[in-house]
Amino acid sequence: MGQVVKLQQKRLLYMGLIAVLVLIWFFYRANGPQTTAVLAGTVRAATLLALGAMCGMIGERSGVVNIGIEGQFLLSAFAAFTIASMTGSLFMGTIAGVGMGLLMGWVLAGMAVGLKVDQIIAGTVLNISALGLTSFFYDRSRSLGMGKYTNIDLGPLADLPLVGTVLFSRPPLTYLTMALLVVVHIALFRSVWGMRTRAIGEHPGAADTVGIDVIKLRYFNVTIAGGLAGLGGAYLALEAVGTFSRAMSGGRGFLALAVMIFGRRTPFGAYAAALFFGFTTALQNQFQLNSTFDIPPQFVGMLPFVVTIVVVALSGLIGSMRDPAALGQTYEKG
Amino acid sequence: MTSMWRRFLALLMVFGLLTAACGSDSDSSSSSSSESASSSSSSSSAEEEEPAEEFKIGLVTDTGKVDDKAFNQSAWEGATSGAAQIEGATTDYIETEESKDYANNIQLFLDDGASVIITVGFGLGEATIEAAKANPDVLFIGVDQFQGEAIPNLAGLVFEEAKSGFLAGALAGMLTKSNIVGAVLGTDLVPPVVFFKEGWENGARYTNPDVQTISTYHPGGLDVAFGDPEWGATTARQALDQGADIIFGAGGATGNGALIEVATEDGALCVGVDWDQWGTVPEAHPCLVTSAMKDIVKGVSDLLVAAKAGTLTGGNFLGDVDIAPYHDFESMVTDEMRATIEEVRAGLADGSINPMPE
Repeated sequence: MGQVVKLQQKRLLYMGLIAVLVLIWFFYRANGPQTTAVLAGTVRAATLLALGAMCGMIGERSGVVNIGIEGQFLLSAFAAFTIASMTGSLFMGTIAGVGMGLLMGWVLAGMAVGLKVDQIIAGTVLNISALGLTSFFYDRSRSLGMGKYTNIDLGPLADLPLVGTVLFSRPPLTYLTMALLVVVHIALFRSVWGMRTRAIGEHPGAADTVGIDVIKLRYFNVTIAGGLAGLGGAYLALEAVGTFSRAMSGGRGFLALAVMIFGRRTPFGAYAAALFFGFTTALQNQFQLNSTFDIPPQFVGMLPFVVTIVVVALSGLIGSMRDPAALGQTYEKG
Repeated sequence: MTSMWRRFLALLMVFGLLTAACGSDSDSSSSSSSESASSSSSSSSAEEEEPAEEFKIGLVTDTGKVDDKAFNQSAWEGATSGAAQIEGATTDYIETEESKDYANNIQLFLDDGASVIITVGFGLGEATIEAAKANPDVLFIGVDQFQGEAIPNLAGLVFEEAKSGFLAGALAGMLTKSNIVGAVLGTDLVPPVVFFKEGWENGARYTNPDVQTISTYHPGGLDVAFGDPEWGATTARQALDQGADIIFGAGGATGNGALIEVATEDGALCVGVDWDQWGTVPEAHPCLVTSAMKDIVKGVSDLLVAAKAGTLTGGNFLGDVDIAPYHDFESMVTDEMRATIEEVRAGLADGSINPMPE
């Protein structure tokens, strides 16, 4: 029975994918430049969400809720911006961002896993600290003299119509994110590490009895996941925007959690959800740019949230989506 | 190990919370008034006028930050430059984190015995009117707050943003090669932003009847619309991708994101907002041809001096608007264009050009 459901889901997925491609083709024939612009905007808005969702996913698969992604984004963006502007090197800035993300992941693990603080509170501490630290140390006279990361064309691929601009003429961290989606997918579902990670998130007691050090692995995973959020922060400051401004993460860390749940805690699912969120933003921009419909921009801006609530509620009802069994619980070796 | 951890984390959290508390209200007074002075004023302010030497100026920002490189920052500069001309004046600011705190933040300065309270932004309008009515002894200056009925102790500093936008748009209409000009804006919930946009579009059409104008407002509410550079950048790119070659970024940090994005595109131009953003957003130098300015600095500073002199009356005060110098783009703006801009400027001044026809 489970097999049949799975097959049906797969078929539905492929049908949906084909429908989307046909629609894109249809719109591209109708108006090339606008379709390209909307899809390029979609991919762009999805990158940060995908990184945040991967961070949250690795944590939750190991049984640790991370609502501090917002703070990890913000403080990493600050570190990336400050170091890049001091050294004049975007690469050094990126390293600093990832480093800050790792550090914050480690602090979160220290609180949530080591000290067994309530995980929601631990995440909130990260968010508040990040907002406070960045506001306090922000120096508005600082800027990126060398500009931000710019697009790299992937040879002849970049000259293709539509996909050339949308997929093959992107800045470096976007490519890196796409590669990381594949890496995280393989690691989570095809490696020993992934199996152990999922085990400590589902049944840490059982994992312990077969010799997995639950505490150590959770520490490791939450720290590594922080690195992904750190990359997100570096992306925000050095690639998406090109400067730092206070509270610039603007709630995207929380959005990333919605994306993660929507995408069933899988990298590709999360990316699809992130693309959907990005698409609604780009679409509502386009509605305004064309001044086709006279609907308030706030209305279309609200749509992805409504869809998320509906999807999460529905899948909860049907029972096809469930949290890792040990999510949010501290593990006491006994 | 665990005890070390505990100590380290406790320290970190205290530090984090401490900076969270300081960060939102960092004290950058222009003069360091002594503790005794402030306590004496708060005791006396309850029933009588301020003592002559003491002149406390409090500024409450909108949800944008006091270092947003645009609107709020220019009001703060106005407050400090006004205070510099007044003997014994001290200035301080409070940043509003959420729109529900407007009244509370104004009250903080009232409790502190401020002589003048400046509230920055359309959003604070109602809270300011209420506070002004309840505290007739304190003077209020409301930036971007049009006064429907005059309250004797509340001066609204307003600007004709449409004229400023019109001038910038007129220049853009002449400079565009693709005949598409874009605008990336804060929110349509704030009227001055709408005036900037309408003026900009009408100005572009005035000098270039073939021009196509594409404009976007941020889809979020007041709390995020001016602090979202990521959206600003992504949206600017979306407009560039469909042929716009000159983009107006108007909306605090959101608009700054748009400017910086345009700077990465060869040959594209951008226009800043509120004051000359050449000085505040150096990342935008490759594209920043001008800025649609409203002289908040001078407006606030003049009103403060008037307040000190006792000549401040209620009602509306019209501040100056103009466009900023062209800086690196001096050579791109031809004499012919300059002549047209002069014509437009004169037309706007004598009323023969209406920047916002219905």
